[in-house]
Amino acid sequence: MSKVETETAASAKGHAPDESAPGPDTSRSWVQIISAQGILIAFAVFLLGFGLFSDRFLSFENMESVLRSSSIIGVMALGVTVVVLSGNLDLSVGSMLSFGTVMVVDLHDKIGAAPAMGVMMVAVLALGCINGFLVGILKLNSLIVTLGMLSAIQGLTLIYSGGQNVDIAPSTQSTTWFRVFGRGDIAGLDMPIIIFAVLAILLHCAIAFTAYGRRVYAVGGNPTAAVFSGIRRGRVVFSTYVISAACVGFASIILGSRVMGSQNNVGQGYELLVLAGVILGGTSLLGGSGSIFKTVVGVLILGFIQNGLLLMGYPYYAQWIVTWIVIILAVWLDIAGKRGRLFSPIA
Amino acid sequence: MKTILTALVATTALTGAAFAESHTDTITVGITQNNVGVDSYQTTYEQAFIEAAEGMDNVEAVVLDAGGDVARQIAQMQDLIQQQVDVIVIWPTNGQAVVPAVRAASQANIPVVVTNSNIAEEGFDFIASFSGPNNVQQGASSAELMCEALADDGQDPSEATGQIVQISGQPGYTTAIERQEGFEDRLAEACPGVEILETQPGDWNREKSQRVMENFLVKYDQIDGVYSGDDNMGVGALNAAKAADRVGEMALIGATNFAVGYEAMAAGEYYGSIYQSPVDDAQNALKTAIAVVNGEEVPFLNYFETPKITRDNMDEFSKPVF
Repeated sequence: MSKVETETAASAKGHAPDESAPGPDTSRSWVQIISAQGILIAFAVFLLGFGLFSDRFLSFENMESVLRSSSIIGVMALGVTVVVLSGNLDLSVGSMLSFGTVMVVDLHDKIGAAPAMGVMMVAVLALGCINGFLVGILKLNSLIVTLGMLSAIQGLTLIYSGGQNVDIAPSTQSTTWFRVFGRGDIAGLDMPIIIFAVLAILLHCAIAFTAYGRRVYAVGGNPTAAVFSGIRRGRVVFSTYVISAACVGFASIILGSRVMGSQNNVGQGYELLVLAGVILGGTSLLGGSGSIFKTVVGVLILGFIQNGLLLMGYPYYAQWIVTWIVIILAVWLDIAGKRGRLFSPIA
Repeated sequence: MKTILTALVATTALTGAAFAESHTDTITVGITQNNVGVDSYQTTYEQAFIEAAEGMDNVEAVVLDAGGDVARQIAQMQDLIQQQVDVIVIWPTNGQAVVPAVRAASQANIPVVVTNSNIAEEGFDFIASFSGPNNVQQGASSAELMCEALADDGQDPSEATGQIVQISGQPGYTTAIERQEGFEDRLAEACPGVEILETQPGDWNREKSQRVMENFLVKYDQIDGVYSGDDNMGVGALNAAKAADRVGEMALIGATNFAVGYEAMAAGEYYGSIYQSPVDDAQNALKTAIAVVNGEEVPFLNYFETPKITRDNMDEFSKPVF
C-alpha cells in the first residue's frame, strides 16, 4: 500500500516527500511489513480458518460458487475503485444496478437481447455522465451528488417499470443467448467469473500501467499539484464516473441474465457492499492510493466471509458484523503500517 | 343512494350487517400505504383499491403512500386526521412505530382499519379491524403441501419423510415471522418425519435467495424440499437448483403465488404455492373500512381467502398479475 502511494506521489510531483518514506528494509518495522501485505494475509487466514470448520468450504464447487456470487459486486467495485482512486465517491451504483437490470430484462422480450443491452448501456452511461459532469466539471461534492443520484435513479427505475417486477418470459429463458452472461460457462468456468476476471485484468492494466492511470492517481493524490502539472482534472474525474457506470452496465447484464427477472430495488444496499470491498482492499477513501487488484481481493474476502458463515450455519447478516470487524482491523493495520507502530499517542 | 348502499352491503358478505344508521353523505376513506412501487403486489393493490373506490358512487378515497418511510407515514396519518376523513386504512411501514399515530386517530374518533400486515399488539385497542391474509394459516397450508409433495405414491402425507430447507422473508417483518411459525408448527404436526435442515433469510429478494440456495446446494447432498416465504424467493431457489441440475430431487413450495411461480408450476418445476390476490386484499380492506363506518359488526381479524394452488388446480386461478 505504502509502495503504491510512493509511486503515486512521485508521479504527482506534488506529494509531500515525508509522507511515506520509501526507506530500506532496515527502517521498516514488522508492523509495516504485515500491514503492507495485510489484506493478503487476512485472505489466507480466512480461507484456512473456514477450511478447518467446513470440509466443503475449500471444494472446487464451493470456490466457484463464491466467485460466481461475488462477481456482480466485484464488477461494480472495479469501477468504483477508479472513482475512489481519483478522490471521489460513487454511491449511486446500487440504484444504477437496479435501473440497468430492470431495463435490460424489460427490453429483452420487446426488442431482443442485443438491442436491449445496447440501449441499457447507453442509458446507464448517460447517468454516469451526469455524475461525471456534476462532480468533475461543476466540482460539486461527490458524496452529495451521488447520494442524491442514488435516490433519483431509484425513482427513475420505479417510473420506468411502473412498480412492476419484470421477467423474461419462461418460454424464452432457456432459448435466448442472453442466458450466456449469467448462466453460461467456458470450459466449465462460469461466465460471470470470466467477465469479472477479464474486466479486472483490463482495468488493472489501464490503471497501473498507462498515462491515464497515473493521471487518476495524481488527481486523487494531490488535485492541486495535478492541475499545475497540466492534468485536466475535470476530464479525468468525468471519465472515472463513466468507467464506473460502464461497470454497472456489465453487472446489470450478469444479474439480469442470472436471475432472468428483476425487482425494482434489486441493487438496494449494494453501494455499501461495493464500498466495503474497495475499503477492505485497502484503497484510500481520500484518493491516490490503492489498486484494482487489491479491490478484487477485498471483494473476494467479503464473498468468502458470507459463504463461510452460511456454511457454518450462521444467518447471512452475521457477515455484516464480521465485515465491520475485518474493515476496522484492515484500517487499523493500514494506519499502523504508515506510522510504524500499532499504538500512537498522536493521530 | 339507498339502492347503491344496499348493493354494497350485499357484496360485502360480512356477517351481522346491522344497517342501522345509513350514511347519506359521501364516505371519505383515507389510506396510507407502505411502499407502492417497490413491488408489483403493492402496485396492483393500489390500483385495485382506487378502482374499487371509484366503482362506488358514495365513496371518495384519499390515497397516500409512505414510500416505506415511518416518519412520512405518521405525518400522513396526521394529515388524514386533520382532514377529518371518515375512516383511515393503514398499511403499516412498521407495526411498532405507527401505534402512537393510530392512537391519535382513534382519539379523534376516526376508526382505523389496518390492512395487509398487522400493527403491534399494544395498538389493537385503537383499531377497528385488521383486514388481510392469515399468514400463520398460509404457512400451515404450505406445510401441508410439503407433506403431500414428499409422500411416496399411495403413502399417507403424514408418513412422509425427507430433508428440507427453508428460505424465509425479511427478518423482523411480521409476514415473514408468521409464515415461518405457521409452517414450522404445522410441519411438525402434519408430517413429523420431515426435517428442516436449515433456515436462512432471503429478504423477499430473488437474487439473494438464489445465492442462499446455491450455498445450500453445496452444503447438502440431498435436499428433498424447499419452502420459500414467497414465490419470488422460490423462483430464485429454482434458478439455483436448475443451474446445479438438481431440480429433480426436490419439491419447491412457496407462498404468495407470483406470475413466475405460476408459470414454473405449469412447467412442472414448482410444486405448489398459496394464492393471494392483491385485488382481493384491497377490496377486502375497502369493504371492511366502509362496513366500519356504517356501524356494521366486523370481525376483528377480517381475513380474506388465500387457497392452496398446485399444478392440479391451477386452472381455477387466473395467472397473477405480479
